[in-house]
Amino acid sequence: MGRGEIWPRLAPTSPSSSPISTSPIGSKAAKKLGPTTPEDEEESLFRSLFRRGKDLSTLQTVEAVKDVSFIARHGESVGIIGRNGSGKSTLLRAIAGLIPPTRGRVWVSGEPSLLGVNAVLMSKLSGARNVFIGCQAQGLTKAEIRERFQDIVDFSGIGEAINRPMHTYSSGQAARLRFAISVATTPDILMIDEALATGDADFKERSAAKVAEIREQASTVFLVSHSNATVRDLCSRVLWMEKGVLLADGPTEEVVAAYEASLPKRKPPAKPAQKAPAPTTPDPKTQPPKTPDPKTPGPKTPAAPPPAPPPAPEQQAPPGPAAAPIG
Amino acid sequence: MTAGSPGAARPPALSPEAAASLAKANRLVELGSRPPFRTYVADLWRRRSFLWTLSQAEADEKNSQDRLGVLWTVLNPLLLVCSYYLIFGVLFGTKRNVPNFIGYLSIGVVVFGFTSSAMTKGTRSIINNTGLVRALRFPRALLPLSATLTELITLLPALGVLLVLMVVTGEPITWHWLLLPLALAIQGLILAGLVLMGARLLNISRDLGNLIPVAIRLLRYVSGVFFDIAQRMDNHPTGAHIMQLQPFALPIDLVRQCLMESQPINWHHWLVGIAWAVGLFGAGVWIFWWDEAKYGRG
Repeated sequence: MGRGEIWPRLAPTSPSSSPISTSPIGSKAAKKLGPTTPEDEEESLFRSLFRRGKDLSTLQTVEAVKDVSFIARHGESVGIIGRNGSGKSTLLRAIAGLIPPTRGRVWVSGEPSLLGVNAVLMSKLSGARNVFIGCQAQGLTKAEIRERFQDIVDFSGIGEAINRPMHTYSSGQAARLRFAISVATTPDILMIDEALATGDADFKERSAAKVAEIREQASTVFLVSHSNATVRDLCSRVLWMEKGVLLADGPTEEVVAAYEASLPKRKPPAKPAQKAPAPTTPDPKTQPPKTPDPKTPGPKTPAAPPPAPPPAPEQQAPPGPAAAPIG
Repeated sequence: MTAGSPGAARPPALSPEAAASLAKANRLVELGSRPPFRTYVADLWRRRSFLWTLSQAEADEKNSQDRLGVLWTVLNPLLLVCSYYLIFGVLFGTKRNVPNFIGYLSIGVVVFGFTSSAMTKGTRSIINNTGLVRALRFPRALLPLSATLTELITLLPALGVLLVLMVVTGEPITWHWLLLPLALAIQGLILAGLVLMGARLLNISRDLGNLIPVAIRLLRYVSGVFFDIAQRMDNHPTGAHIMQLQPFALPIDLVRQCLMESQPINWHHWLVGIAWAVGLFGAGVWIFWWDEAKYGRG
């Protein structure tokens, strides 16, 4: 059906640097300030006077994702791994078209559908209402939804609670319902942000089966997870993000192994470095060229450290949107 | 089908040009670019049932928040009518020379209440629903539109009371009452257009949201809610004419023409109303569409 390839790609618009930057709260405001050069200072002071709340003096741009470029194909299941704040969720949202990138471009075939632990539907409304809203937003008609309603509820395992407002749900319940809603249609591109980690064992099994089914229908699945086991189970390919940079891109086993190898060794010193990259640094100087060969996990591990130490002393910046998944 | 191509060496990043041409060759669509305007409008139309679901759900939810629920949508305007009657009608004497001032005032309060609530809630509909915007893809214009529709739905009980009040205050029921839905449709479209524009503005700068209550208060005072514009400004006929035909005062006037015997139908006003409705709604959708790719960042 005209679907050649699914091919999200964040391509540089300029040859040198092309970060996708997002700010914790208002990327537009942050963007305007951008790098604070001396002549900006007065304006930024002026602006900060008109900014409300916590942000009074600190408007920061977090470059959550920098210069990432890849191609994904139909039927592929791509895992995205990396530490907290490495830009996984921001990347996912950018390729879902939900957070427009500040630079770079994404091309897709079909409609991406993202579900994340943090994706809130209408929390004041009941689960049932949310099923209708979510499914209709995905283009189903009311009749179709009524037909599938019971299936959706059964799949989510919510039971009676479906008629309660969503803000009364536990995070696991909410995540399960969101997952059930987003797989009610077979999305062309399914993006899962940590959702599977929140379910109980029984639900995990069901969702794994569902993901497999979706892949069989030649859709593409993206999965952000901190559970290497989940990634191994579900993904054929893995992107390893580190500080907003794509460190490795290759077959699951190799990349995950390299990632795991980097963990125990690096953990103590990497802790402070886990923070998002420094704000207002337009040049991704620390960014190594993407490791060209994902097949050699051995040499890759040494490739990881260089970016880690240098930014470590840089100032705190809230991991912001990039740190969405916790756990 | 070429599942994975796992073992393959990763190709170096393509240049933007090469990427663009490859995307084109595979008929991929660029994300974050707004769709052509006609496609956008068609898409909106296709999802109209979503609009309805959203509005209905929000209206229900709103009514269920308070213990007295729907009753408040009726009590609020009634209390407002009472206070306006005392302050403006009695104290400032605007009720002089206005036949059936209570009816006149009630229409003003209820109809302008729709304007006020739609402008307040609607313009915030994007920034208050960032979660929904970031979770699902749909034409974003549905959110301001549904917020406006929600306010119209929650207006209905008050409208019912208004009709009863008209009869109680001695207005005869005429065929003019049948024009009421048209008057409300005109108002709804005018508001939807303005709300769309406002939602885009607020998405650009939230701070502007602080000005909206001020603007609404100002409009409430100049739109003839509790006085007769023509009567008050009889020495400035042109000024009075402009004030009567501005898009906030006009719907109030149209509803009064429907329901009150003392306000004869003025077709000229209806035509201006329809022109406002079509013009502002069209402009609103168009203006909102410009930033379609930018909602959800903030």
